[in-house]
Amino acid sequence: MADALTIPKGHRFAADRALALISLKRRLAYKTTWLFSITLGGWQLLVGIVVWQNIIGAGSVGGYDWDAMRAYLVIGFVTSTIAWGSADWQMAGRILDGLVSIDMTKPVDFQRARAAEYIGGAVSVVPTAVLGAVAAWLLFDPQDPATPLAAVLTAVSVLLIFPMAFGIGYLSILLCFWTRRYLGIQWAKDGFVSFFSGMMVPLSLMPGWLQALSWCLPFPHFTTTPASIYLGRVDALEALGLIAAEAAWVVVMWFGARLIWRRAIQKVTIHGG
Amino acid sequence: MAELIATRTGGARHAFAVYRRSLAAHFRSIVEYPADFWVMASAGALWQTLQFAFLAILFANVSAIAGWGYHEMLVLVGFLTLGGATTAVFWDGVWSIGSMVIKGDIDYRITRPAPVIVQVASLHVGMQAFGELSLGTVMLVYGWVGAGLSPTLIPLALLMLACAVVIETAVLTALCAVNFWVKGTMSVFAFLVNDLQQDVLRFPLGIYPAAVRLVAMFVIPLAFVSFVPVEVLTGRASDWWAFGPPIAAAATAAAAILVVRAGLRSYDSAGH
Repeated sequence: MADALTIPKGHRFAADRALALISLKRRLAYKTTWLFSITLGGWQLLVGIVVWQNIIGAGSVGGYDWDAMRAYLVIGFVTSTIAWGSADWQMAGRILDGLVSIDMTKPVDFQRARAAEYIGGAVSVVPTAVLGAVAAWLLFDPQDPATPLAAVLTAVSVLLIFPMAFGIGYLSILLCFWTRRYLGIQWAKDGFVSFFSGMMVPLSLMPGWLQALSWCLPFPHFTTTPASIYLGRVDALEALGLIAAEAAWVVVMWFGARLIWRRAIQKVTIHGG
Repeated sequence: MAELIATRTGGARHAFAVYRRSLAAHFRSIVEYPADFWVMASAGALWQTLQFAFLAILFANVSAIAGWGYHEMLVLVGFLTLGGATTAVFWDGVWSIGSMVIKGDIDYRITRPAPVIVQVASLHVGMQAFGELSLGTVMLVYGWVGAGLSPTLIPLALLMLACAVVIETAVLTALCAVNFWVKGTMSVFAFLVNDLQQDVLRFPLGIYPAAVRLVAMFVIPLAFVSFVPVEVLTGRASDWWAFGPPIAAAATAAAAILVVRAGLRSYDSAGH
């Protein structure tokens, strides 16, 4: 016990697994929310299909013809389902409610514990993403992957979205040490992810300076990276470079969050003692 | 009869006074915590800026969508934004109907001498709306000037904007009141329709299949918030369509009153 209190970091993997499982069960318990997310995601995909079909017609926009755009939209549906899939407001709630002060007394690394819960929660949307993607594939018959290798690399880049989404979510909730509510921060974060990822409009349609700015941020990896690899808009070497960049962002955000945490916990005031 | 009218007028005046004081109290609490206000208002402004950027980027690559040019689309999005944002400033409390029903909080409101829905709706102010209102106005004005719309159309636009606010408010109220029957803290139906409205109606309705157009015009008439007014203003629809928004406003308001009344009748508290 004394050891556990003096070394709060580096808890056993079993604890992570348990936290992830609890989080997954909690998400699955709320079936309405689950049904709601699939309905909303499905609708957004349908709207995207109608709008872009109208815009592109028989030609092409930003290098996307209608076949490629269908694949882009389905990939965007899968990646956005994962990106919005977990519940960062639950993490924020721990800080806003003051539960974080109790967490500090636990022999558990706060960041790792939240990561485990986040991934557990995000796993609950995997069936939504898979079912939605299969249905969309059958309905809209999008373009096939450029090469078998591109398909594999696309899958890897999509998997990396889980830790990426945690990194951005966790950095956002850390701001709650300085604010009273999370909603505004969450909206701002969601806005940045939607816009700079290419979910709202493909990056290739943007002016050069905005594309350059986007690629300096972690957001394009949420849609543009997997879609570009899948459609063969980048070759194998460039694809590996993009995946390496994704992994680098995961690491940078993880350790960046540790630095911010050290400053942030100084803001915690425990009332009454 | 005269007495009845006097009582009714007095009741409406009293309800409005309660609403005004309740909302004013909330505005005072916003002033107390300015940081929160600025975070929310900035988030609202950010989303609208991105919306603006989205249209600018899109129209740098294409010249028109279903015959609608860049500036006309800005007017369309301006109407959509201002309708929703005004509702969020003055009527945002209705989002909490669901949680109030579950917790039995409606009990307290029923015992007070003012309409329940007025008390509930004035409980909250959507602070993001201040950012949305400013950027929405910028888009509307910029689009208006760019599309070369006549200044003589301004009174008509303001009237249709007022109708848009009534329609938004009424549809939101009715959908949130569904939580009197379908229990849940989150107003799922209102959230879903609101999100769909933002997604679907920021583009001209003409690009969608007939079923979507019918639903948006006659089932949940949100097309009268943004699409129909801009069609009238840009001369795409005949002048007769200008009667559409007031009729839709009256119909949705009546429907919302009926739904709320039925909801309150079926309300059976939380059992404690």
